[in-house]
Amino acid sequence: MSVLAVKGVTKRFGPNAVLKNVSLSLDAREIHAICGENGAGKSTLVKILTGLYSPDEGVVSIDDKPTAIQNPQHAQELGIALVAQELSLAPALSVLDNIWLGNRNVPLFHRRKSLRMKARAALDQVGLSDLSLDAPVSGLSIGRRQLVETARMLTREARVFFLDEPTATLSDVEIERIFDALRTLKAEGKTIVYITHRLGEVFEVCDSVSVLRNGELVGTRPTAEIDRGHLMEMMLGRSIGEMYPTWQSKPAGAALTIKNLHVPPVVRDFNLVAERGAVTCIAGQVGSGALTILRALAGLSAVATGEVTVLGKPMRLRSVAAARSADVQFISEDRAGEGIFLRLSAGQNLIAAKLREHTTWGVLARAKLRATAAKLAGAVGIDLTRLRSPADELSGGNQQKLAFGRSIGSAQPGVLLMNEPTRGVDVGARAEIYRLVRGFCDQGYCVVMASSDIEEVLGIADRVISMYRGHQVGSYRRGEVDMHRVLADITHPAAA
Amino acid sequence: MTEIALNNRLRGSGLRARHLVLGIRIVAAATIAGFALTTQGFLSTLSINALLTAISFVGCVAVGMTFITLTGNIMSLALGATVSATALTFLATLSFGIVPALLVALLFGVVITGLQGFLVGYFQANPILVSIAALSLLLGAAAFATGGHRIYPAGEGLAIFKGRIAGIPVQALCFFATVIAAQFILSWTRIGRQMAMVGSNSRAATAAGIETTWTITIAYMAAGACAAISGVLLAARYGSGDMELGAGYDYTAIAAVLVGGTAIAGGSGSAVRTLVGVTVIAIIEVVLLLRGFSEQLQYLITGIIVLAVIMLHVVGERR
Repeated sequence: MSVLAVKGVTKRFGPNAVLKNVSLSLDAREIHAICGENGAGKSTLVKILTGLYSPDEGVVSIDDKPTAIQNPQHAQELGIALVAQELSLAPALSVLDNIWLGNRNVPLFHRRKSLRMKARAALDQVGLSDLSLDAPVSGLSIGRRQLVETARMLTREARVFFLDEPTATLSDVEIERIFDALRTLKAEGKTIVYITHRLGEVFEVCDSVSVLRNGELVGTRPTAEIDRGHLMEMMLGRSIGEMYPTWQSKPAGAALTIKNLHVPPVVRDFNLVAERGAVTCIAGQVGSGALTILRALAGLSAVATGEVTVLGKPMRLRSVAAARSADVQFISEDRAGEGIFLRLSAGQNLIAAKLREHTTWGVLARAKLRATAAKLAGAVGIDLTRLRSPADELSGGNQQKLAFGRSIGSAQPGVLLMNEPTRGVDVGARAEIYRLVRGFCDQGYCVVMASSDIEEVLGIADRVISMYRGHQVGSYRRGEVDMHRVLADITHPAAA
Repeated sequence: MTEIALNNRLRGSGLRARHLVLGIRIVAAATIAGFALTTQGFLSTLSINALLTAISFVGCVAVGMTFITLTGNIMSLALGATVSATALTFLATLSFGIVPALLVALLFGVVITGLQGFLVGYFQANPILVSIAALSLLLGAAAFATGGHRIYPAGEGLAIFKGRIAGIPVQALCFFATVIAAQFILSWTRIGRQMAMVGSNSRAATAAGIETTWTITIAYMAAGACAAISGVLLAARYGSGDMELGAGYDYTAIAAVLVGGTAIAGGSGSAVRTLVGVTVIAIIEVVLLLRGFSEQLQYLITGIIVLAVIMLHVVGERR
């Protein structure tokens, strides 16, 4: 008998089906992993099972009885609990308050002794025996907050628990505590659904694994019957097609040299030589430090230390102005928040970093600026008729091209730093962006890209650096490495 | 994929919302024009001149406020007090001659307001709270310096601000010059363009290498200069001054900025739009006055109009 199951579930947003005919069954006393790349449909499936979305087609059943889960409250009544990926603690409240927050079985005033004792037991179980129940959550580290969240989960009287990447921000010791908590729940007969990018964890703690790819269920297997290689094939199995351009690697000497880069608390002792005319990819997951390294090189970290040389000259860290005068340009991973000016026009976005060169006595040469904007638009493939439109009316792909256009066009080709350049960009525009990147290399730029998308890293890089929790795992030339190797490096290097 | 579909849908409705807002603006403008033109005595030289003078004082403050709003710092509640304080400074230093007095007054406004800008830019202090503190400081310092007495001019030369050139009051000419200078700064200079960038997205501005602290400080300095011009004009008009002179101008100024269509969230706006905003509010007030509505009712109706405009903004910016 299955505790919770879906049969033939399809979910569409507009014309796009994000889940296609997915069937899945969860048993009691089981830790069940759900794996898949970004956009494979994992979150949508979880949202359907926890009452946030209702499926367009198909049936959800609980104890083999078809059940329509109305909303998250209803899901909680049915015994389904969710530990969200985004931390959902209230920082100003105490640990005790947070543990009972939103629990339907707790009265408004919850200072009763029994509740304190239950909370204490849950905290002890996740290894937080030193933590006071009355301490405010705001004083805790991210890792300890995640453990409090896990303790909160233990106090819920649920039968099925959903954990969405609970270990993304944790250290090894803390991860082990969470695993212990999960094993305890399992021994009590509960069902746990574990969503993760880290394949090592699947084999360490889970009983079975279901893989989603492009909204379809590839298959469900007991973890005892498959190995890492098999699981990776299930996840990545599609052909890459014509997405990536072909090129001849022709690096033209070192453009960027990094020695002993430290960015506390994430990156320790990072070294790199990146060549002109080549794409150097730093591959790593959230928290690996890949994005942090590029942010530090762009001058956006106040704590970075180390020796950085750009085109033969030393560059000062911790200053955006220093990075820019060294011809180091940065394309942010947070396009809307830090990348582009959504309320300004496309044309103004393109020239945002070029005002100084177009100014005499503080006054702008507006005609020259318009010409520059048009030239940059042409270089990155933005329709000239759109230059006057506000940037927020453009698609994700075109917005990213604005960020690209803004970063090029200096007198000499310099260093282009890109964090997750294709995040939120659809497939067609992705191919275009990859061609642009290779084009920049042909012009002599030194491109350094940080990405968590392994397929992209292998498709575009001349050199791949793999990162795991702040330190470098491997460094490979193009052709010397495959997906399995990189995936192993960035998910669980010890086991590889 | 879902994100894209959703964006497309929202983008579609965003365009419609914007057209709706534009439509409402046109209807509103036509309605106001209709009321104005059918009001007895509105088109007389007397009332037009009264209108011009009325918009000059608060108009300068509104243009100054535009700089602050544009950089994403919403508004300053200290500009009205800055107007009064510069008027007092101007009157007190008139004994050194009109030109030195003018320069001192301008410098006073620029420094006092620029300092607030530095606090807002460098420490990322809440702009409203900084301005409330500045308001209190200005009131306290003025009470201390004047002992609570009215200030009378310490010298000659105020007459030139009361004259007319080609039939237009000098005060109005000063205001128009301020609008033109502000518009020039906003759309033709680098610092003006940077103000819009900082207002649109200050993190992106930082990442693009723009000195956000300096940009915000300059915007506040410009606002201070505008407030100082208003203070000088008021001092000249009334021939004496106290801290009540510019009281309440902050509110009318922010109303004019919003009615003109400068985005409250920053990033887009212009001095010319603010000129339109000031004029619209002044026309409404004159029409209500000429039609015999009481002063209380004028306040009430102005308040309703400002509220309506703000709601219109919310609709227009929600996508």
